[in-house]
Amino acid sequence: MNATMSLTVFSIAVLVTSIGAGAVGAILGLGGGILLIPILTVFYGVDLHYAMGASIISVIATSSGAAAAYLRSGLSNLRIGLFLVMATISGALLGALLAGVVPTRALELVLGLALSYSAYTTVKQLRDELPESPPDDPLALRFDLEGTYHDLRLQRDVIYRAQRVVQGFIAMFGAGLLSGMLGIGSGAFKVLAMDYLMRLPMKVSTATSNFMIGLTAAASASIYWSRGDIHTLIAAPVAIGVLVGAYLGTTVMARMRNTTVRKLFLPVVVYLALSMIVRGLGLHLP
Amino acid sequence: MTRLRASFSVEHLVSRILLFGGLLGIALVLLGLVLYAAHGGFRHHVLDLRRPVGQPPGVFVSVRQVIDGLTGRPIDPLAVSALGLVLLMMTPAVAVASALPAFWWTGDRRYALIALVVLAMLALSATLAGSLH
Repeated sequence: MNATMSLTVFSIAVLVTSIGAGAVGAILGLGGGILLIPILTVFYGVDLHYAMGASIISVIATSSGAAAAYLRSGLSNLRIGLFLVMATISGALLGALLAGVVPTRALELVLGLALSYSAYTTVKQLRDELPESPPDDPLALRFDLEGTYHDLRLQRDVIYRAQRVVQGFIAMFGAGLLSGMLGIGSGAFKVLAMDYLMRLPMKVSTATSNFMIGLTAAASASIYWSRGDIHTLIAAPVAIGVLVGAYLGTTVMARMRNTTVRKLFLPVVVYLALSMIVRGLGLHLP
Repeated sequence: MTRLRASFSVEHLVSRILLFGGLLGIALVLLGLVLYAAHGGFRHHVLDLRRPVGQPPGVFVSVRQVIDGLTGRPIDPLAVSALGLVLLMMTPAVAVASALPAFWWTGDRRYALIALVVLAMLALSATLAGSLH
């Protein structure tokens, strides 16, 4: 693998790749790190630290671009996002302090199995366009965890309210904790917790996750920055491409069915589950 | 006044700040790259994708270094891009900071408090990041 490349060729290639990563990230509520880090390291030969630094920039750019559009259209729920991000950031803080104390391999294995179960539940509800009208959760009422958006695909207003808020909050704390301890993004876990536990419409789940990932990434961005992991010439084409891609992604996602978004999300969960099990078992794949 | 409050949406404010923060950051990143190209930075430039010992050009680890790059003569074009990245990184926190008084003003004290807690957590993370370094 060549570890040097013409700057012009590199910038154009990364710009194009990042447009795709931004679009996928905006649709699925992920920061794009899950796509960008392997591509940058495996195909372009970028050092892992620089790739992670570029990924954190990508998450914030995706979040800013996508959440700006989703908040305006009502797909991102600001209150649900702020309420849950308290759990995620405090989990991530504790996770960063615990990193190195708890055996990583066992954690990865447990996470891999939990994700496998999530993949199974995602398959089970693959055909559900919208969750059934919920029994009232007292915390959801108290904290105003509800909203309305106009669904461009269904051509009607969709009213929703969060369910199982306590479980959702605990899951968000766990997502933050694991991402802090294992150094992985938590966008996918946020979507799963909102979709499966709190029974929010899938599009609201990914759009609200898009808002939240910007905050959790901003919380750790200064670490990457002060370590010298953010290389301007690598992060710059990523940031530009991802912002353009995120904008394109939001226009596409607004017109998708909830079931389509969930179908696209399933392979991500399966991939994450397998990669965690592989890491947990200590196997090394190319 | 009441009508103004009723029509005011915290979501729209936060949405605008995320949009303009993101666009301003990206505009500076782009401007830096254009200046870098104008100075012949892209000509025959072979980018080393490995992480060397020490600090290669294009890597800034503090705001101080970015300011030095911006105030130096000639100006360091990559410092302009780095400033754009810093603005981008600050955008989510600025959005929450603006939501705090907006929630308070619309009478939602509970969410003003939640925004404050989130901001405090972001500040704590940044402080911890500094102390770990």
